[in-house]
Amino acid sequence: MEIQEHRHGAVTVVRPRGPLVEADAGTLRDCLREVTARCLGRFVLDASEIPFADSAGLEMLAEAGEELASSGQALRVAAPSETLREVFDLTDIAGGFEIFADVQTAVRSFL
Amino acid sequence: MPAPHVQIRIPRQDSLASWAGLVTGALVLSVLASASFWTVYSHREEARRGRQAEVRAVARLLGASVESFLASDDVSSVRRLVGEVAREHGLRVCRVSLADGSIIADRNAKTPVKALPGTWPGGADVGDGPHERVDGSAVSIDVPLTAPGKGLLRLRVEADAAVPAFATPMVQAGLGVIGVGAMAGLALACRAIRRRTRAIGAIRGALLDARAGEASAAALAVSAELGPDAEAWNELLAELERLRGERLRERAAEQRAPREADAGAACDAMWLGVVVVDDALRARYANGAAAVFLGARREAMVGADVSGLIESPAVVDALRSALAGKVRHRVAHEVARTTPGGASVMRMSVRPLRREESGGAMLVIEDVTQQRAADQARNAFVAQATHELRTPLTNFRLYLEQLVDAGDGDTAARARCINVLTQESRWLERVVADMLSVAEIEAGALKLRVDDVRLETVFEELEADYGPQAQDKEITLAFALPPKLPVLQGDRDKIVLTLHNLIGNALKYTPKGGTVLVAVDAGAASAGTLVVDVKDSGIGIREEEQGLIFERFYRAKDPRLSSITGSGLGLALAREVARLHGGDITVSSELDKGSTFRLSLPARAKAA
Repeated sequence: MEIQEHRHGAVTVVRPRGPLVEADAGTLRDCLREVTARCLGRFVLDASEIPFADSAGLEMLAEAGEELASSGQALRVAAPSETLREVFDLTDIAGGFEIFADVQTAVRSFL
Repeated sequence: MPAPHVQIRIPRQDSLASWAGLVTGALVLSVLASASFWTVYSHREEARRGRQAEVRAVARLLGASVESFLASDDVSSVRRLVGEVAREHGLRVCRVSLADGSIIADRNAKTPVKALPGTWPGGADVGDGPHERVDGSAVSIDVPLTAPGKGLLRLRVEADAAVPAFATPMVQAGLGVIGVGAMAGLALACRAIRRRTRAIGAIRGALLDARAGEASAAALAVSAELGPDAEAWNELLAELERLRGERLRERAAEQRAPREADAGAACDAMWLGVVVVDDALRARYANGAAAVFLGARREAMVGADVSGLIESPAVVDALRSALAGKVRHRVAHEVARTTPGGASVMRMSVRPLRREESGGAMLVIEDVTQQRAADQARNAFVAQATHELRTPLTNFRLYLEQLVDAGDGDTAARARCINVLTQESRWLERVVADMLSVAEIEAGALKLRVDDVRLETVFEELEADYGPQAQDKEITLAFALPPKLPVLQGDRDKIVLTLHNLIGNALKYTPKGGTVLVAVDAGAASAGTLVVDVKDSGIGIREEEQGLIFERFYRAKDPRLSSITGSGLGLALAREVARLHGGDITVSSELDKGSTFRLSLPARAKAA
């Protein structure tokens, strides 16, 4: 899984490209943890390039959300595909994230 | 727990128990006295009856002896016997008299006695049998006697029958011992009972007060001087007070626990960092956000000196002032922190805690980095916009003035002025368009109008637009396009804008005599994806700035740019457009060698 990063002001946008499956869940988890520590939690997960996620990937996202919630923060997920959004709703983990329609809106939430 | 303040409780008067004790003692003594009296009386009566019986027996035996002696006219023996018997048996009167009353023998030697007559006289009848008479404590017995062959006579015996109650030494001693012992025992018992009953009475009074509603241990305590019972009572009260205090504290803790748990959970859920600091600047509590913002582990923060974590003397001073009570309102400072992810700005607010039993202060940390970045961007935008608008407007004014001055005669001058005005108007138009696009991006309103985008036409227009400019700067502008370009589904105007920005920058930042190549990847093109490389031989970009140049209003710090105009919005907009389409723009560059900007666009835009 290719993971890109770019900055919007003081906010880091993490954009993984590809399916979020078990083989890549650990990589993305480590990346999110590193970004969280480096950027003090000021980051957005751009999910526009994630076509689908398996249970391991969903579990990783849920755990990432829990870890951020323990410090009063939230996992901001931007532009998830319709498929991914449905999976979030079906597995009832959508409540653990802040979901935004696009990256700009997610970035603006830090203001 | 402090010992209860003991007030002395002493009975104002002897309690009922005390009186009961005394009455009991008196009753016991009365019983003892009655028993003693009855015993003595019984003994005395017994002794009197015994004495009477003795006197009776003596009288009978003496009478028999007298009759026997007088039968032989032995009056001397009679007199001797009367004296001896009277002395031996304590007879007050012991007299033998004839029928006529003549006394022939008497215990009292001074009593005149007569000799026995030859013929006994007759006289009053002496009676049939002994006559016994008890008079008070004296008993007298008259015994008629008959001396065989002689005549009648009478024996009279009188004796005291009363026995002094206390005549017997044993009785005297016993009664004395009993009496003394009883008095001593009574005195001791009274004393002991009095002491005990006083304490018991005081305790009883306290119990009644407690039942009536008195709950204060101080009011229910009794004087320890009343003895061990009182001390035990006071100890019991103290223990009760201690248990009551413990129970109150437990209840308070039980009631406080849910509130504290709720407060803790609320703080943990906050996105603001919260740290509670004690008077020694040690953290007593820190939520998760505070640990993140201060770059510490939450568990390690509790008990740690926060001054080492905050890294801001102003905030530490504010904490000290709040803890010392010098400042009672909120004091805020913005602190710049450098983290591995770059610079961060934290707003740290300090406020003293209002508590009666202890001080403390609260530190609230808010991450305002993005806000400051937005402020900087806005300020830069305003500054840049002002500059960008002022320059063309100034040129507008100047060249309009020249146009007016040129009049109709100087055609060349008029043409030159019109060209400049046209360029400046286009530049102005682009700047305004960029600003509007920025506004749309900020507002999240930048939308794509998706339609077919024929790239051949796009590149033809670009070549026509930039050809003359390249010629003016003696830059070789080339387009390397595959024979067949894909038809994209996207926003044509914005794609053109993006390519304009890339090619325009390449020409702008390439010095005279350089080259600019616009190459489309044929392989990607055949796969329906547009990959365009805009490669120049310009001034290049420092490696540390290659990621920053895509930020709004950012312009590289190269001093050579000071003479080159630019809004700082072009690359930001270009990348935004590319990403809206689901693509991206990347850069690779080497200072003084040139830069290559790669635009990647999918065949079909991801966003509508």
